[in-house]
Amino acid sequence: MADKTFLDSTELVLNMGPQHPSTHGVLRVILKLDGEKIMGTDCVIGYLHRGVEKIAENRTYAMFAPYVDRMDYVAAVSNGLGYCLAVEKLLSVEAPPRAQVTRVILTELNRIASHLLWLGTHALDIGATTPLFYVMREREEILNIFEKYCGARLTTHAFRIGGLQYELYEGFEEDTLRFCDWFLPRVDEYEELLTENRIWVDRLKGVGILDAEDCKAYGVTGPVLRAAGVEWDLRRAQPYSGYEQYEFKIPTGQNGDTYDRYLVRMEEMRQSVRIIRQAVERIEPGPIMAKVPKVIKPPVGEVYVSIEAPKGELGYFIVSDGSTQPYRVRVRPPSFVNLQALDKMARGGLFADIVAIIGTFDIVLGEIDR
Amino acid sequence: MADEQKPAPPKPPAGAAKAPPPPAVMAATPWEGELPSVLREQFGGAILECSTYLGQPFIRVTPGTVVPILDFLKFEMEFDYLVDVTAVDYPKREERFDLVYIVYSFARNERIRVVTRIQDGFRPESAVCVHLTANWLEREVYDMFGIEFANHPDLRRILMPDDWQGHPLRKDYNILQMDQRWVQENLGIESGQ
Amino acid sequence: MRKFFRTVFLVDLIQGLWLTFRYQHPKNIYTEEYPAVRPKVAERYRGAPRLNTNPETGETLCIACNLCALACPENLIVVTSERNEQTKRKELTTFTYDTSRCMFCGLCEDACPVDALELTQDFELASYSREGQIWDRQMLEEGPRPAKYKF
Repeated sequence: MADKTFLDSTELVLNMGPQHPSTHGVLRVILKLDGEKIMGTDCVIGYLHRGVEKIAENRTYAMFAPYVDRMDYVAAVSNGLGYCLAVEKLLSVEAPPRAQVTRVILTELNRIASHLLWLGTHALDIGATTPLFYVMREREEILNIFEKYCGARLTTHAFRIGGLQYELYEGFEEDTLRFCDWFLPRVDEYEELLTENRIWVDRLKGVGILDAEDCKAYGVTGPVLRAAGVEWDLRRAQPYSGYEQYEFKIPTGQNGDTYDRYLVRMEEMRQSVRIIRQAVERIEPGPIMAKVPKVIKPPVGEVYVSIEAPKGELGYFIVSDGSTQPYRVRVRPPSFVNLQALDKMARGGLFADIVAIIGTFDIVLGEIDR
Repeated sequence: MADEQKPAPPKPPAGAAKAPPPPAVMAATPWEGELPSVLREQFGGAILECSTYLGQPFIRVTPGTVVPILDFLKFEMEFDYLVDVTAVDYPKREERFDLVYIVYSFARNERIRVVTRIQDGFRPESAVCVHLTANWLEREVYDMFGIEFANHPDLRRILMPDDWQGHPLRKDYNILQMDQRWVQENLGIESGQ
Repeated sequence: MRKFFRTVFLVDLIQGLWLTFRYQHPKNIYTEEYPAVRPKVAERYRGAPRLNTNPETGETLCIACNLCALACPENLIVVTSERNEQTKRKELTTFTYDTSRCMFCGLCEDACPVDALELTQDFELASYSREGQIWDRQMLEEGPRPAKYKF
């Protein structure tokens, strides 16, 4: 129509491009804005797609384990645990108790490391620059323990199919317990910095509400589901690797908003320390590797095993055709499924909230794109 | 776990080539319980097989009944969480793809796989009307395998670029050839792989 | 009333700032001044590869069994050998390792039966050309050469 110019339109399409400091990786979000209010979002992903599932079809089972670490590179140990558990289920072997206890300790340390990084980057996005440096200091201690144990800090390749490769080094228990004692007051420090702070509360309370019904409909798991009030944790519901022996609380929230997710993750860090302390007492001497054949050839079949990764339910669906290479490995990434709910959470909010919402999901693009 | 072999084909006359061994099948055991009997009662012949393998139950159904079964499982049997939608490619089979849906029930703490076999070119019904999670999961199956879902609200490629030709996770998709072709077309040099 | 005073006098913000202020004490400095100070890495660190030799005789420990090449996910180890007629055993001739594609997973180190191939603590592996990243037997046997920086 002749009279209408582009100044008359009220809807603005803005591209929050793949290179952006707040998108936690290469995530592109196309926003439809009406002034400051968000009318709709559209996520474009795939910038980090490396074809891990296709690679899996050309590698043997043991060779594929290092690739698995590179998906969720922040919490590499959990990825390795899920994969090893899935292949062990196909082979019907179980890791010996000493290996299981060590796996639990390393996985919980990993969970603390992942939540710490989440806290640092999320706070940085909101504007609080101090927590980032403090969490890096804590992460240094954890990564030092990983390095002393398996030789690498981030892409650990810590677990092997059937158990562990490396024996626990001298002083592992002391290091871990010293870390736990040193770490718990630090969580209180972060709470002192952030929890009562009026800027923090104003930015996070009431933002990005996702209630329990929507969580279940969208298949969202992990701390996001727990903050909505559903007390469900795969470590309690379907325990693996000896988790039924440990006592821990499952923190839940009430409103399902960003502030509750923050509180849930802080409490999870404390509960992880509790689990680590219980696990260190259960270390007993014994073998670290189960009887697994040199050449791993599982029988024909398919299996789906999932674990509670720091981000949600990480699942591995492995189809074997009886040869040394898997026929199909499907990784069910928690961040991929969680990110679908971004549209629901962001609609109706302000533009500044998008940054808070992306941060609160705790997404890792390596996992989403694989 | 021993492999279960299908009964061997009759021996060909001497002098002819030996028949290839039959492919090994999964050593699944039949699944009895409340759930399979309720499903059989409701859907009758659409349920082709109810078995479990290594303690994980799965049912194999005809392609057209997947969405009604998911609907029934969600509203009557409380399986309200769709964990995953994925596919497996068996190019030598007539029904090429194995479409797998994994559902979980919070109340019962159980997980079931719903498996169906479809041909290349068949367009299964989208599960988005039952579970909202299926939106991106089905987009990924379309992107990686080329299985189009009917009545999907927004079916386009999700991980590969929008104008990509080919579907990567199919078994006849050769990564090296595709890499060489892309580099040749776009950069004009030889690929270093 | 208490809440009113907390809000007006910015008590919650001051609490956070006081914590940050406490950390200004010099004993809380965590900066590692690299490259003047090289960090101590762990003994099991998976860094640059090295082919070990027998310390007394200087001969290589490698028996050319090719297990490391079979274990590598990226197929970047090439081992060639020739058969020695006197001892009736294989002897190593060349050993090529491509560090540009290596992901330092440690599978080759785990596979070696005689502990000849080992991943050392060297992490400074930069070179000026792609060919410089492909290490042959001589470079591997010399071992890591940590860079020394002069200021």
